[in-house]
Amino acid sequence: MRKLLLTTALAAAFMAPAAYADETVTIGIVTAQTGPLAAPGKFQMNGFNLAVDEINGNGGFQVGDTTYMLELKVYDTRCNAAEGASAMQRLATVDQVPIVLGELCSPVAAAEAPIAQDFQVPLVVTVPTASSLTEQGNPYFFRVNANSGQLNEALAAFVETIDSEPLSFIAWNNDTGRGGANGMRELLPEDFEFGYIGFFNVGEVDFANHITNIRNEDSKAIMLLMDEEPGALAIRQIRDAGLDAKLIGTLAMGSNRFLDRLNAEYLNGMVQYSSFPPNAPMERIKNFSDTYREKYGEESHGFAAQSYDGVFVAVEAMKAAGTTTDGAAIRDALAEISVDGVIGTISFDEKGQASPPVYITEWCEDGSRKIIAPEDLAADCGAG
Amino acid sequence: MATAILEQFINGAMMGSIYVLMALGMVLIYGVMHVLNFAHGVLFMVGGYLTHLFFFSWTGSYPLAILGSMVALAAIGIVLERLVFRALRDNLRMQIVSSLGLILIIQNGVVQIWGPHALQMRPTTVETLVKFGQLSFTLQHFVIMGVVAAAVAALYLFLTHTRLGTAMRATSQAPEAAVVVGIDPNRVYTLTFMIACALAGLGGALLGPLFIIFPQMGDAPMLKALSAIVIGGMGSVPGAIVGGLGIGIVESLSTLVIPTDYRDTITFGVLILMLLIRPWGIFGVRVRGED
Repeated sequence: MRKLLLTTALAAAFMAPAAYADETVTIGIVTAQTGPLAAPGKFQMNGFNLAVDEINGNGGFQVGDTTYMLELKVYDTRCNAAEGASAMQRLATVDQVPIVLGELCSPVAAAEAPIAQDFQVPLVVTVPTASSLTEQGNPYFFRVNANSGQLNEALAAFVETIDSEPLSFIAWNNDTGRGGANGMRELLPEDFEFGYIGFFNVGEVDFANHITNIRNEDSKAIMLLMDEEPGALAIRQIRDAGLDAKLIGTLAMGSNRFLDRLNAEYLNGMVQYSSFPPNAPMERIKNFSDTYREKYGEESHGFAAQSYDGVFVAVEAMKAAGTTTDGAAIRDALAEISVDGVIGTISFDEKGQASPPVYITEWCEDGSRKIIAPEDLAADCGAG
Repeated sequence: MATAILEQFINGAMMGSIYVLMALGMVLIYGVMHVLNFAHGVLFMVGGYLTHLFFFSWTGSYPLAILGSMVALAAIGIVLERLVFRALRDNLRMQIVSSLGLILIIQNGVVQIWGPHALQMRPTTVETLVKFGQLSFTLQHFVIMGVVAAAVAALYLFLTHTRLGTAMRATSQAPEAAVVVGIDPNRVYTLTFMIACALAGLGGALLGPLFIIFPQMGDAPMLKALSAIVIGGMGSVPGAIVGGLGIGIVESLSTLVIPTDYRDTITFGVLILMLLIRPWGIFGVRVRGED
């Protein structure tokens, strides 16, 4: 019996895909796992882990004649620039990883990018949206996800097509909020009529003053440039105050988690840009969403999809470069490759920026979402 | 414009009522004990969390949850007075440093227990809307103003018509003379802390459900309440009421003419102006050598 068990165990071990791998490659990860942005950091990490499980589950990947399994070396940067810079340096010098993926926060990515260049270790970010990140002329910095400029362009194009004048804003009083509001004003035509433009500090929860001013301006639409939590509060207060202006939000406001904070009545008719509609009727998105739900028991998230694609981009670059150690060669490969990912085809321009599709989704009466732009990808309620 | 002014007035009166509750607690402690408790904001926040806990875990009744939160905060007040502030009674600097330390301890403690994410609770008063023409408010707006008015009236009656209230006023005005007539100052100090903390708990219990309950929810009300008691007059109960309501209404109305993100500059501008021209406040008493 003992012999039989031993034989079975050995057979199982040899049948496991890992048995075919010759070596292991460790990829560096920088993301927020604790602190106020731990929740979005978890989505990012889920995406990385899902990709690694899939690659290793399929027996690893081949570079030259060698088969490699993937491993992640994760540092929690807590959305803190100093901790991000320190982690990036540690990954480059102590851990000596060939490529680093992450980050969650734009200012932290900005602190990590010069270190990536100094040590010739490519940094591929999958979540930060600040347009300026890919404007620094850093050849070792790449971004998988759409930046704020690309997201705003898609939203501005849509806003122009609806009855939204005068358009008011409630935005965070920081780079994201002010940058977003200014970006939209630049993208919309010169004669476009704007109403009230108000900013609030992070942590403020009372939007009554903004709402009175918006009512005063007789605004047809309100753009909310903020995160999930203040967004839910602002929408509730806007609707409770009796304002029925059209609501326009960010990608944080197009998920079932957001619906759980409010209800279908509050959200009905609201539109938002999205980099990843999790229920879109596309094979690649459907497969990812099903696998994600099976593993994590919840609706998939854009940050997870972008991060999942980031791992495949890194693997394809190592395969194309023919090395798992030479950061400079991997960088050159990154600049040339094209990967069909969950979020779309990923290839980088000369600034290191990819251009995945940006969607506009709209909340339906029953609490589902539909895709209304781009036109060729439009789909009915339940698809967004 | 009249509609906008009315809307902002009601919003301002509601927030001002919350500042009044906070300011009353701080002014009681300062008036009786000469302690400036900067940790009053986190006690307000704990009131919100405990109301959430009592509502969902024990009572299912919002009024009972508020009551439970006030009782729990009063108990916390006893502990804080006995363990921290009694030992530092004659050292204002140490009191300030300790109360700043308490902010960090209590805020981080709350994060450890409830996590960093905001909590929501939606009692009927928050879900019910009251409409005036095109304007619409939650019933909670008026509940807040009504409950605060009742609390102020009850506090006034307590201070002027009960032996304990008289003892508190006596200790506040002349501590040595109060001892001579048989008042135990330690009991008065403990009672003062209990009442002040219960008022902070009431504030958190009223405001938390209207918005969200989160670790920093008491920071802004504490700063506004501090401004209210400086503007109204340190140690003056009428000053705390006028100061708190005044700040709420003025900051709200000011956003009709200045950008909303400059709202706080009005409050703190008035505060600095008051310190420059009348440092003893509207209702305060000028003390020789104080300015």
